[in-house]
Parts: sequence; C-alpha cells; structure tokens
Amino acid sequence: MTVVPFLVIAAVAGTLSLLVRDRRGWSTLIALAGLVLMTAAAAAIGSAATITIGGTVLAGSEWLRLYALLGSLVGFLLVAIDVSAVHEPDVPGVVVLGLGAAVLALAIPDPGVAVVAATAGGLAGILVAAPIEAAARAAFVGIRELRALAVAGSLAIVATAWLARPLDDLAGAPAAFGLAYLAFGIAVAVRFGAIPFHLWAARVADAAPGVALPLLMAWGPAAFAAVALTWIDQSVAPLVLPLGTERGLIAAIGAVSVVLGIVAAWIQDDLEHIVGYTIAADAGFAVLSLAVLSPEAWEPGRTWLLIFVVGRSAFAAWAVAIHGGFGTRRLPQLGGWVRRAPLLGLALVVIASAAIGWPGLTIWETRVSIATLALPDPLAALVAIAPLASMAIYGRILWIGLQAPSPVVLEGRGDRPGWPTSVPRRPMVGLGAVERGFERAAHAATGALDVIWVLPTAARQNRMPLASAAVLALAALALAVSGGGLGVPEAARAVPAITQPGPAEGSEPGQLGPGDGARPSDEPFPSDEPFPSDEPFPSDEPFPSEG
Amino acid sequence: MNPALAALAAVTIGGAVLAVAARDVRSAVVGLLVVLVGAPLIADPWPTPLSILVRIAAALLATRFLVIALRGDLAGTGTRIGWPTEVLIGAAAGLVGYGSHGLGAVGLGAAEAQAAGFGLAALAIAPLITGRDVLRIGIGAILLLVAASLVRSGLDGPLTDAEQLIGAMLTIGLGGAVAVISIAARSAGGLEPIDLKALERGRRTPDAHRASGSRRAPEAGRTREPGRTGRRP
Repeated sequence: MTVVPFLVIAAVAGTLSLLVRDRRGWSTLIALAGLVLMTAAAAAIGSAATITIGGTVLAGSEWLRLYALLGSLVGFLLVAIDVSAVHEPDVPGVVVLGLGAAVLALAIPDPGVAVVAATAGGLAGILVAAPIEAAARAAFVGIRELRALAVAGSLAIVATAWLARPLDDLAGAPAAFGLAYLAFGIAVAVRFGAIPFHLWAARVADAAPGVALPLLMAWGPAAFAAVALTWIDQSVAPLVLPLGTERGLIAAIGAVSVVLGIVAAWIQDDLEHIVGYTIAADAGFAVLSLAVLSPEAWEPGRTWLLIFVVGRSAFAAWAVAIHGGFGTRRLPQLGGWVRRAPLLGLALVVIASAAIGWPGLTIWETRVSIATLALPDPLAALVAIAPLASMAIYGRILWIGLQAPSPVVLEGRGDRPGWPTSVPRRPMVGLGAVERGFERAAHAATGALDVIWVLPTAARQNRMPLASAAVLALAALALAVSGGGLGVPEAARAVPAITQPGPAEGSEPGQLGPGDGARPSDEPFPSDEPFPSDEPFPSDEPFPSEG
Repeated sequence: MNPALAALAAVTIGGAVLAVAARDVRSAVVGLLVVLVGAPLIADPWPTPLSILVRIAAALLATRFLVIALRGDLAGTGTRIGWPTEVLIGAAAGLVGYGSHGLGAVGLGAAEAQAAGFGLAALAIAPLITGRDVLRIGIGAILLLVAASLVRSGLDGPLTDAEQLIGAMLTIGLGGAVAVISIAARSAGGLEPIDLKALERGRRTPDAHRASGSRRAPEAGRTREPGRTGRRP
C-alpha cells in the first residue's frame, strides 16, 4: 500500500481534532482514533510502493514505514499520557498533523519539495508553542520559533534548488557546493535547536507543553535531517569535492551541541529544560552525521534518527507524567518522588539505559560510528563517550527521588493503583433454595454492572498509575529501538527505490557528477561488504563504484 | 524579458514594500495578500488554472486569518527607514536577482521569479532582525519563505501541481501561525512581544558599579519625598 492512506487519515483526523478544540474530550478522542488508524496504515506501507500525484512522486521505503509506525505508536502513547497527566489543549491535533507532514516530507524523493513540506509541518507546532492562555510569554516564544523555522526553511529551499539542475561550469566550482552544503547543514542545526542555535528551542522548551516537545524538537526536525542526509548523499557527496572547511564547521556545531547540551541539561532544575537540552545534545549526533560525506554515514545517520526520536519521546513522556502526578516540574520540589511513583522510577532507569547504552548495543555502536567518521580521532573518542556523562543527569534525578518525600510529593497522586469504594454487599433474604439461587444470579449480574459503572471513576482515580504504565511501555519501546530491534538497522541501511537525479545529470561525458558516483538505487547498501578502507572516505579519491 | 512577468514581479515587490513599510495593519495585510497572490504567478509557463485557484484560495485564507487576529484599532511599528528606502532596496535587490539569474549556471525558470525572490528576501531582512512587533517579524518570516520559493522557481523551473498544493499548505500555515502569535500578543496588551527574562534583567540593580546618588536604583517600597524631583522631568 502507498503512503496516501496514512496522509489522508492524518490530515482528516488532525484537522477535525483542531476544529473541535473547544470540546477537549472529543478533540482528544478524534486524535487518538486517528493515531490508531495511522498505526495500521503505517504498518501496511510498502517499501517499494509509489504513486504519482500532480506530477510529484510519493515513494515508500522501509525507513519511512518504520518512522511512520513508530511515530504513530509514540504519538498515541504521548497523547494517552497527556490525557492521564495534564491534558493540554490542542496537543493531540498538532501531534497528528505534525506527524502527517513529516511523513509527507519523507515520502517525497525530491529534497527541494520535501523541505517545503517539512517546514509547513513545523508551523503546526506554533499552535502549541504559542498558547493564547499564556499570552505574554507565548507571543515571544512563538515569534522566535517562527523566525527559526523561516530561516531554516529558506536556507534549505535555496540550497536544494541551487544544485538540483545541470550545473555546467558551476560543477567545477567547489565553493558553490560548499555554500549550499553549509546552508543546509546550518538549517538542520537551527531546526534541531542545536547549540549555538538553541535560544529559540530553550524558550520553546520552557513554554510549550511537555508532551509536544518531542514533536517540535525531535520528530519534525528528524524528518528535516533525513531529507538533508538524502540530499547530501545524492547531490554533494558523490562529487568528492574538497569541502574540509564546511565539514569542519558542521562537525564543530554537532560536537559542541553534544557536549554542551549534556552540561546544560545537568545544571537545570526544570524537568522540561532538562528534556530540551538532552534533545539538543542528542541532536548533535544527527548534525555530526551530516558532516560525513561518504556512504558510510548513511546507515548510522538514519539509525540514530530513529533511536533519538523514540528515546527522547520516552524521556519527555516521563517528565509529563511526573508533572501531572505531583503538579511541579522543579527538581528541588520533587524530593522522594521514587517512593511515591516506583513505576516511574523503573521507567527512568530503562530510559537512561536506552539513552546511554553500552558497548555492543546498537545505540552505542551508532554513536561511535558517527563520531569516528565525522571527527578526528581524539575528539571523536571524547564525543563518542560524552553521553556517558548523562548518567550524572539521570543519577541526579533518581537521587533526589530517593530522598525523604517533600510536601509537594506527599500531596501528589503517586502511582499505586486504587479502586473506588465498592457498593456494600447485598444481604441474602430468600428462604428457599430456588429463591436463593435466583437471588445469587441477580446479585452477580448487578455486581457486574456495578463494576462496569465504576470503571470511569476508577480510571480517573488511577490516572497516575495508567500514565506510569504508558511511560514504562514507551521506555521499553525506546530500549528495543536502541538495541536495534524492530529492524531499525536494516531499515536504515536500505536505499529508497526512487532517488532524485543530482546536478550532474546532463553534464559533459567524463565529468564527475552525482549521478555517476551514486550508489545504484535499486539495491540496498551492501552492509556485509565493508567499505574498501577503514578510514573515513578520502575526499580526494572517487567513489568505489568509479574504480 | 517577459513584460508581463516583469510587471508581476514589480507588483509583488511593491506589495512587499507596502507590507513592511505600513504602520496601518490593514495596509500591511493587503500588501501581504498582493505578495501571496502574485508570487506563484511569476513562472514561465504559468501554473495550471487549478493550481492558480488553489494558490489564490490559500492566500485569501492566510490573510483572512490575519484579518481575524488583527481586528480593532491597531498600529504596527512600520519601517524606520521610510518607504522610499524600502522601494530602493527592493528594486536594487530585484535587479541583482535578474542579473544573476541561474546563480552561475543556466536557470531553468523565469529570471523575473529570481528577481522578485531577491527583492522579497532583501525586504524581509530588516523586519526579521530588527522587528519589534510580532506582525512585522511575522511578515518578515513570510516574505523570506516566499522569496526562497521564488528563487527556487527561478532556478529549477515551474512547480508541478502537487508542489503548488504543498506551497499552498505552507502559505496557509504561515498565515495561521502569524495570526495565532498576534492573538497571543494582543491578549498581553499589544503587538509587541514581551521577553519576561529581559524585563527581569532590566530591573536588576547595577552591582558592577559603585552606587552613586544619581545612579542608585530606588529601594523597594521607598516613596519619593514631597517636593523632590528626579534628574529628568
């Protein structure tokens, strides 16, 4: 099946959910139903299914299928946790629409059109980043986000347009390719809020609902980064140009973001700020993968994007559940939270394991691959092991949770399940055996009805345990993806069936161009055949396919 | 040069000048409508009738969002350098864009599209960097993205119907986003966004300089003595 049903469901459900935003319950219900249908539609997307609509091809791929499937699942759990914890307005509809726009961007093989779709999808996030209720702060945060989106989108649109045609004499000018490459790299860094472009993202993390953070700062920008990876693979990398300065700049942004993001997260007291800065830190590896102009970056880069979005979503969901349960996001007020919410404590341990990993785990190997390919040796090792410092972040949160419970935590809900007070047992008044038999049957039937009637009350009373269970499920999903489960590496390795021709199409015979050096599009990247050299791809030598 | 396309490009740049220069928000929105309707038409060959209808509908919807958000007596900050300067900036950038059509290689689209794109981009810079109110910054963001789309059209050739549809989505999203932000800003009292942290920083008493009589910040709760005046009226 093509990607069209997924897109139609997302468009209809997201729009309907926002149209009935005044009735929050219905709005959420429509979004949840839409996410269930989107999950089913995503599972049915064929990796080679293509369709042409209005002159533009929409192509499926294994990675796109996994992105859509994981996005729908994670979106469903995030909305469910939001309903159980804080129930923010507009978030469900925005999650559905944002996810639909991201999948549309990934389905378009032409990067020039895909970045327009990715930018349009990012605009949906402004609805929740600038909530009207928090007016003064909202306008400031919203306009900053809009400015960042516009700058990133414009840079990417012009960069892709510049190299998407036969370039004649310009093909021999590395500066043109370097400028376009640098522009797209910076656009991705701006969209992620990577340091030093993090100011707008920090304010969004402060103002936007916690449950929307994964969409605003991870899922949407990840689609943008995936488009950038494809574009670099098709239009820049095969030309084998000396772009050392540009690569160095992009690698520096990525490395600085990884290290300083972790430091910034460590010193924060607000949980959403911590989530925001860990996203910026992990996004640094996505930016680093753009600094590698060799086919070796294809698999780890796309693997990292999936691991990153699911892992950060789980952490954001955990923060939302804590906020909903105890009414605060400030760590100093959350002393003893583990004692009141042991399930969430367990979930945090799983999330930390999924985020940090260990040697041999897919997430660890992916980070090492990206850092080694993008950076010189001592720096690569430093950046590759930098996430170990995240243990201090998670350890600090856990340590505070094991202290004596604070008054705020004692007044909070806690995640121990409860049950509403039951109806008193009815006395047996029948005299004969038959009469008592009928009476027992009647009591059993009314007792069952009592249980059914009490279910909504029980759900309201157990909001925190339900949210904790959903967070634990999301954490388990994050650990599975970090471990390479669900076929993530295989999906990341596969090359889309349809690729866009690069700028060298139509160039002179013998002139080096992307079309010449690109991998064959109809066969997956040969992961079992190692790259001829263990070193990063040498910039002064042609691709292996050219001999 | 195609005279019709050149005229369209000139009108589009004129609309952008009106959008960034006008203090009256209605005039600014009209200028934006001219840009959003005119920009997709600067293409050779022209888009299909259906595409044109979709783009016009999207432009009307986007500006309708803005009109809803900006009802009442409102005034933006407008340009600080005057509209003649904005006209000159737009025209000069447009000429540069026309002269550099293709950016070093053969452009597959209309040179007039790239000219209009350069003009709009130049006009968007000042609002984006120095804009004080959300409408002005929002107009800058819209102009920048429209400019990028025009440059793309000039370099790569006309857009397909599906690309026009995605462009329409972007237009509607931009209008809606600026409208939402404007409503939020108006709820707080005006179109100027408030940076609470900056305000807090502004209130902070100086601690790096010796406190002197003329510079000392007033202490909390302290009232001015009768008959005592400050240094400034």
